[in-house]
Amino acid sequence: MRISTQTLFTQSMRAMNQQQAGLLHVGQQIASGRRVLTPSDDPNAASLAVQVGQAQAITGQYTASRVSARNSLAMETSVLGSVTNAVTSAKTLIIQAASGTLTDVDRASIASQLEGIYDTLVGQANATDGNGRYLFGGYQDGTTPFVTDPATGGVTYVGDTEVRQERIDASRLMPVADNGQNVFQGAQGTTGFMAVADPANAGSVTLNGTPSVANQADPDFGHGFTIAFAVDPATGDATYTITDQATGAAGPAQAYTAGQPIQYAGLALSPTGTPADGDSIDVDQARNLNTDVFKTIEKALAVLKTPADTDAKRAALQNTLGNVMTELDNSLNNVSMVQASVGSRLNELDVVDSVAANRQINYAQTKSDLVDLDYTTAISDYTLRQVGLQAAQKTFMSMTQMNLFNLM
Amino acid sequence: MSIFSIGLSGLNAARIAFNTTSNNIANVNTPGYNRELPIFAQSGASQGVTVADVQRQFDGYIASQLNAANSKTSGLDAYQTQVSQIDNLLADEDSGLAPLMQKFFGSVATLAGSPADPAARQGVLGSADTLAAQFRSFDQYLADMATGVNGQLSNEVSQINNTARQIADLNTQITLAKAKLGQAPNSLLDQRDQLVADLAQHVNVTATAQDNGTYNISIGNGQPLVSGGRQFTLQVVTSAADPTSTVVGYDDAAGNVVELADSTFTGGTLGGLLMFRDETLNPTRSQLGQLAVSLAQGVNAVHANGIDLDGNAGQAMFGVGNPQAFANQRNTGTASAAVAFDPANGAQLTANDYDLKYDAASNTFTITNLGTGEASSQALGAGNALSVGGVTVTIDDPTQLQDGDRFRVLPTRTAAAGFENLIHDTSAIAAASAAGGSGNNENALALQDLQTQSTVGGKAAFNQAYAGMVSSVGSRTNIIKVNLAAQQSLSDQLMAVQQSQSGVNMDEEAMNLVMYQQYYQANAKVIQTGSTILDTILSLR
Repeated sequence: MRISTQTLFTQSMRAMNQQQAGLLHVGQQIASGRRVLTPSDDPNAASLAVQVGQAQAITGQYTASRVSARNSLAMETSVLGSVTNAVTSAKTLIIQAASGTLTDVDRASIASQLEGIYDTLVGQANATDGNGRYLFGGYQDGTTPFVTDPATGGVTYVGDTEVRQERIDASRLMPVADNGQNVFQGAQGTTGFMAVADPANAGSVTLNGTPSVANQADPDFGHGFTIAFAVDPATGDATYTITDQATGAAGPAQAYTAGQPIQYAGLALSPTGTPADGDSIDVDQARNLNTDVFKTIEKALAVLKTPADTDAKRAALQNTLGNVMTELDNSLNNVSMVQASVGSRLNELDVVDSVAANRQINYAQTKSDLVDLDYTTAISDYTLRQVGLQAAQKTFMSMTQMNLFNLM
Repeated sequence: MSIFSIGLSGLNAARIAFNTTSNNIANVNTPGYNRELPIFAQSGASQGVTVADVQRQFDGYIASQLNAANSKTSGLDAYQTQVSQIDNLLADEDSGLAPLMQKFFGSVATLAGSPADPAARQGVLGSADTLAAQFRSFDQYLADMATGVNGQLSNEVSQINNTARQIADLNTQITLAKAKLGQAPNSLLDQRDQLVADLAQHVNVTATAQDNGTYNISIGNGQPLVSGGRQFTLQVVTSAADPTSTVVGYDDAAGNVVELADSTFTGGTLGGLLMFRDETLNPTRSQLGQLAVSLAQGVNAVHANGIDLDGNAGQAMFGVGNPQAFANQRNTGTASAAVAFDPANGAQLTANDYDLKYDAASNTFTITNLGTGEASSQALGAGNALSVGGVTVTIDDPTQLQDGDRFRVLPTRTAAAGFENLIHDTSAIAAASAAGGSGNNENALALQDLQTQSTVGGKAAFNQAYAGMVSSVGSRTNIIKVNLAAQQSLSDQLMAVQQSQSGVNMDEEAMNLVMYQQYYQANAKVIQTGSTILDTILSLR
């Protein structure tokens, strides 16, 4: 084939252009460290890289949420530690107060110590995080959750029963708090029974501890019931009638003998002392009775501050302190349960963290495999193209010098 | 016939041959120059030599093949120049839309961590502003490209008209020269062939040589562009179907402007630009719009379920540009169409445009998805409304409809241009699911979860939709690059073939110079010898 002189030049030029473009491309790859410079270099890898980037970003989001969750839970666990201490101290004081040898003055002194603990507890229940948001208010974290009624001096919960959650992993919404009701008014893990004497009782019936379980197979087992005393004004004989709170059924009147067990619904109770007509005792599962730790301490304070100068008052003191001890135990159990759940959530955060860290490494690796450059290949490619370009240049020079006109 | 006149004819022929070779050497770099060869012939009844013709080495068949190949190459080249700009825009990972969407949802996650914190709320507003601004700037970039393409179209069309004018003029000159001299000068023919080659770079044309020596040039479906000395012009006109778009119009013999479909132009810069606009630019803008609408509808719906810090239901967080509907300017009826998004059918929203054609006999509309070609039929529903791919089209007055009336619907083309954050007050973010709980973060969590849900077209999460866009632009650019490389090498090969016939080789010309020199000297010798012989005879006295 004839080769025109123009073809010779243009084709050499095109060859050098191509070599140069290739060299530039590899040069850019080496400079940026990326194999895929624009999506068109590898559309599939580029679009996959966007999706891996999304996975990385979401994993990063969840990591940030875990930091925030850990922060909240760590704060909560420290507050719960103080609450546990306070309740334990209260229990110790009540045990002291229950000693029969104390005088009214001794009890008043214990009451003032107990008041201090009470205030501490209220303070912990109204603890705030670094931003001034209340820890135990549920969703109502902008207002004080436990407010003191100036009239009665009692504390009531005005938060709600919600718990804020955060998405700490793709498929896990974690509660990052517990509301005040659960912590201070709950009775998780409490299975026992309690007998509570009516505060209006005029007699000296004393409960002598919690009811004992005699027969779990009893069909009425678990029902609450009321023991109502009646005293015949003529003979002075005391009888009692048991009313099942679940069914409403009332039993027959039975003779009361102090120290003799009263049995119903598989439970046995041996009160002592003398009832007055109209006195009553409620028996129920502890979780259906008072579970509010503030009410418990308020109750204790009330009796400790009252001089025990009659049999009835002494019985009330003993009954109340007995109930308070049980209730404090239950509250302590409850707080411990919450504390354990917080601990396990903190633990879960650590586990998810390490899984996520692994995942991030994998994502980074995947993304790198998709779009990053293999330097060994790239540098050898670069050298190869360099050689190619030089060869094209040399060929061009020698071809253009071979011209018949040069020889004429 | 004397030895002198034979020698003289040789000298003359050698001189012409010298001229030809010199001309070849002089024009070695002239574009469109075709190598010339002296054709020697015996001088008729008498003896001696004559140069019958200085022949132009031109093969019309190869030239038309080369023109066709170059036309495709320059089309792909124009396409590649344009599409590479979008490819480069998507190349930067850090400034793309994906990281900004991630930042927005990241700030929502932070809000879920502390729903009443003013800093967290400000973070959401800030990232929403940035995201919206980036959507708009991305769209602006594409809109600017569309403006640029429209400008280039006018440019191309005027160049095509100019070139066609020159070809028509040359046709006239060549006819005249032929009538006068019996044969047209090679330089005019070269010029005309070069103009046809130039024209092919702009638009795919067919050149047909006529018996009288003129060329007829036609484009597309055979519309004549040049016929003898007559030229027909093209012009850029606003599309009757879509006033936001320009198309190429053809001034026919009757003086009417006929809109030429974009698909008429398969090659040349003009064809490449139109193909880029229809195949990549507009669809990418619409895809971006679709993503913007899905994001806005998804976020707004969840936001509306929530309660803000003032206890009010969440207002719309993002606004988008409205969908567009146009009545075709050629409609015989006067009904007009309005269009609005239909969030209830948001999952049906596509990145495609739709053509609506009214059929009076059945009183229905044929709805054609211009992206997929799928067609369906629908009668006007309540309120004279049609449900078209996630939007509702309303005809103002159905009694004014005429058979064959058409409407064009662009659901998402300009949606991203109007993408904006509508909330500027931190307390207006509805993070809560119910009133009165400053620690309630349920709606923030629901917003955060949107990022992993299949919201776009009912089948892709936001980032997947964006990845799809990256992939489709990337693939398209890649295909064009590969096709261009293949087409370029085809052009190169044909160019080499054409040059092997018509191109000048300097070595060959050097040799010719030597050869014609010897030829000249030999003929001079003949005359000298003749003179010697004559002298010999004359000295016999």
